[in-house]
Amino acid sequence: MGIETSTLDRSAIHGEEMVLNIGPQHPSTHGVLRLQVLTDGEIVTKITPYIGYLHRCFEKHCENVTYEQVIPYTDRCDYVASMNNNFGYAVAMEELMGIEVPEKVHHIRVIVAELNRIASHHLAIGTFGLDVGAFTPFLYCFRDRERILDLFELLCGARLLYNYIWVGGVSHDFPIGFVEKVYEFLDYFEPKIQEYNDLLTFNKIFIERTADVGVLPADVAISYGVSGPNLRGSGVKWDLRKNEPYSIYNKFEFDIPIGTGAMGTVGDCWDRYYVRIRELEESVKITRQALDQMPREGDVHAALPKKIRPPKGHVYSRTETPRGDLGFYIISDGKPKPFRLKLRSPAFTALSCIDEIARGWMIADVIAILGSLDIVLGEIDR
Amino acid sequence: MELLLQKFSEVSFLSGIPSALLFVFAATLIAVSLFMFVAVNAIVAVYAERKISAFMQDRLGPMGQGVGLHAGKWGLLQTVADAIKLLIKEDIIPSLADRKLFILAPFILFIGAFIVFVGIPFNQHILVADFNIGVFYIIAMSSIGVIGIILAGYGSNNKWALYGAMRSAAQIISYEIPLALSLLTVIMLVGSLKMQDIIIAQHGLIWGILPNWFIFNNPFTFIAFFIFFISGVAEVNRTPFDLPEAESELVAGFHTEYSGMRWAFFFLAEYANMFIVAAMSAILFLGGWQSPIPGYMDSPAWGLFWFMGKAIFLIFVMMWFRWTFPRLRTDQLMQMCWKYFLPISFINILGVGLWDLWLN
Amino acid sequence: MIRYFSNIWQSITTLLIGLRITLVHLAKARKGIVTLQYPEERWPRPERNIGFSHDSYNVIRSRLHVDIDDCIGCLKCVRACPVDCIHIKTVKVEKGTDILEANHIGITSNGTQKRLLLTRFDIDMSECCYCNLCVYPCPEDCIFMTGGPNSSKQEIDYEFSEYNRSDLIYRFAKVPKDQVEKYTPPPKEKVKIDVAG
Repeated sequence: MGIETSTLDRSAIHGEEMVLNIGPQHPSTHGVLRLQVLTDGEIVTKITPYIGYLHRCFEKHCENVTYEQVIPYTDRCDYVASMNNNFGYAVAMEELMGIEVPEKVHHIRVIVAELNRIASHHLAIGTFGLDVGAFTPFLYCFRDRERILDLFELLCGARLLYNYIWVGGVSHDFPIGFVEKVYEFLDYFEPKIQEYNDLLTFNKIFIERTADVGVLPADVAISYGVSGPNLRGSGVKWDLRKNEPYSIYNKFEFDIPIGTGAMGTVGDCWDRYYVRIRELEESVKITRQALDQMPREGDVHAALPKKIRPPKGHVYSRTETPRGDLGFYIISDGKPKPFRLKLRSPAFTALSCIDEIARGWMIADVIAILGSLDIVLGEIDR
Repeated sequence: MELLLQKFSEVSFLSGIPSALLFVFAATLIAVSLFMFVAVNAIVAVYAERKISAFMQDRLGPMGQGVGLHAGKWGLLQTVADAIKLLIKEDIIPSLADRKLFILAPFILFIGAFIVFVGIPFNQHILVADFNIGVFYIIAMSSIGVIGIILAGYGSNNKWALYGAMRSAAQIISYEIPLALSLLTVIMLVGSLKMQDIIIAQHGLIWGILPNWFIFNNPFTFIAFFIFFISGVAEVNRTPFDLPEAESELVAGFHTEYSGMRWAFFFLAEYANMFIVAAMSAILFLGGWQSPIPGYMDSPAWGLFWFMGKAIFLIFVMMWFRWTFPRLRTDQLMQMCWKYFLPISFINILGVGLWDLWLN
Repeated sequence: MIRYFSNIWQSITTLLIGLRITLVHLAKARKGIVTLQYPEERWPRPERNIGFSHDSYNVIRSRLHVDIDDCIGCLKCVRACPVDCIHIKTVKVEKGTDILEANHIGITSNGTQKRLLLTRFDIDMSECCYCNLCVYPCPEDCIFMTGGPNSSKQEIDYEFSEYNRSDLIYRFAKVPKDQVEKYTPPPKEKVKIDVAG
């Protein structure tokens, strides 16, 4: 995606089509994204996403800081699911260094990662509602998300950028009473899913706006490398927690919700949305199991050398974040700083297919499709 | 108006003044008071909307601990502060905008809403002019506003504004039709376009218990009320029909480039239009100033109370809609109008005609 | 035709369900409010009560604060910082030329002998990413974030907005400004101009 505008068809500009810039300052681009849209009346004929407004040289930065210092930077990639990003990096580093972390650490990580998945899906659901014009579900989602952020604040002091999961462990143990508070939250939260369903999911206007809109067929999704709820919304049963279990996800029982086309076609916006709603329930299930099985005593750090110096070599490891497969490719040359670090961002691949699935729809639908893909620009631009 | 002129002529010290001057004076007085009503309505409605939306969303809305830097108790002064802010704000006109149209647009929209108030009876006596074409006048005048919206969209030289204006034009013109058709059912029953006649026709009881409002008159007018009200909501661009100013799609729609006092006029017009739709629904279907228990509490003061109560309730319903529903898409909006509302309205007309014929 | 009417029916029922929910929330507005009136009401900071063997940890994330009297100038926090927002300069001072204000001789509260004079200890809070990484390696526990578990040492301060960005640079060194020059060794070669300073 180049910066020059010559990618546009010149003849189209002089025709009856109009170039419309959605973004970088637009209420519903979920960050700083520019969509150059070619419109014929309300119908969109071509979409070109321009990214890079939030570029922070994440990968280059990582080459200049030590392995521990990378973690605060991973926080800022997908800033609504920092725990999952930390988790992905920690898993990659432990694979590179061959560290076994204690059982308790595994449980703690799964609990916080699933809680953060709930928080992230809350944001996705709420902002999607906002994109199609429903304001109230957005605030209900934020009301419940806030409780998770409060829990995390109790856990590690921070509300958004946690720096909690470290290489070889987590930064602190659970505080006293934290487990009970998580149980309390889960009990509070489970009935709320019904409220979202009543207010938004099965609302006729919402179904009209999202069902059959922006259909992402399974083969297109796979060829674009789309992952996570977007891929599952297209009916592909692919979840790294089940297919390539990392950490201790193979110990838990949970389902992988997939899009069924209940309201329209398989892979439409409504399916992608509803997969997220059902993943909330699955995450609650996993969290409950992890809390039940968690050993209460024990250390939260693996035995680590004072300075992390992984052996020479490279590793590619991927984990399932709320947005899909987050891959870390790390090359180590035996020094305390990574030689090269590459992040494979799930939101980037999700955004790349927008032209394919949103072409031919209306402007309002482009916004809905963009919302249903649930992109985070911090991760796309890195 | 006539009442006011008559009162003037009775006052002794005004008797020397020529009647033409007196007429101008009376008209100005009425216009100023109507404007005050519109402004106060907007201020109160904005405050109510913010509070209602806040409570629906588990928030508190505008709050304050007292007068001073804070917005009064419970934030009561919030909209007053907003109004002052809008008045003293810098007036920005984009350099590439069509200046004349840009300046003209908010006033046209506002006038379209403002002159409708001439025909609205607030109670038995408070009515500026009881035309013999009252309903027709209101329907005609309330369509003037769309010109303002189109001018605003065209004059702003902004693509979002243009989209908003185009959507608005299509939407308002389409929804005029089911609106007018469901209004016809009432006119068929009354046989008059005069507002007071319509209200007086709703006096008494029906089925023994219910007030003889047209909403309860027969099943067809019952449906007609909802079509009228929903079409009215669509006419004033409120959610779920707020496509012209859909903030998640079109940034702010036709008033994207407006700020300060000009923007405030759009806002005034929106809330004035809300009041008009609510008032028209109340007059045509809910008995206007008629008391729900015929014969009781039907003095002019109570009439004002009942009328305002009904109108305010319907405004509340509009706010309730706004904070509950998502927004429709342009084609779905049109589909709803032409495929659902229009056929049902026709059936309504037929049904009311047959009902009337059968009963009388 | 059936679809036509079922569409109408579905619209009416589902929209009414939605309307009911918002009305219930409106009716229960007294109980259900989740927001606070910020300047008057404050969010309770989570009290830290980790009962395990992790008492030395600091879980508050707010403004960084340094007990300069305890600092020995070991630069561990500087090395831990991923964004280089801590700037420290130390000088060895010969005996007899001590500055009393700087309090750079004696022992820290942990019992370590102080050897260096800190002519500069600046933390640029506009650059800080609140990762807390500088807190862990400190051997004297003298750098920490205010409030929370450290509120006995320093009161919470998380509303430190300033009109000027340079006001966000917190200078902790106690050497008087006019005497810094005196204790800074003459530059050997080109001096690197520090942007933050």
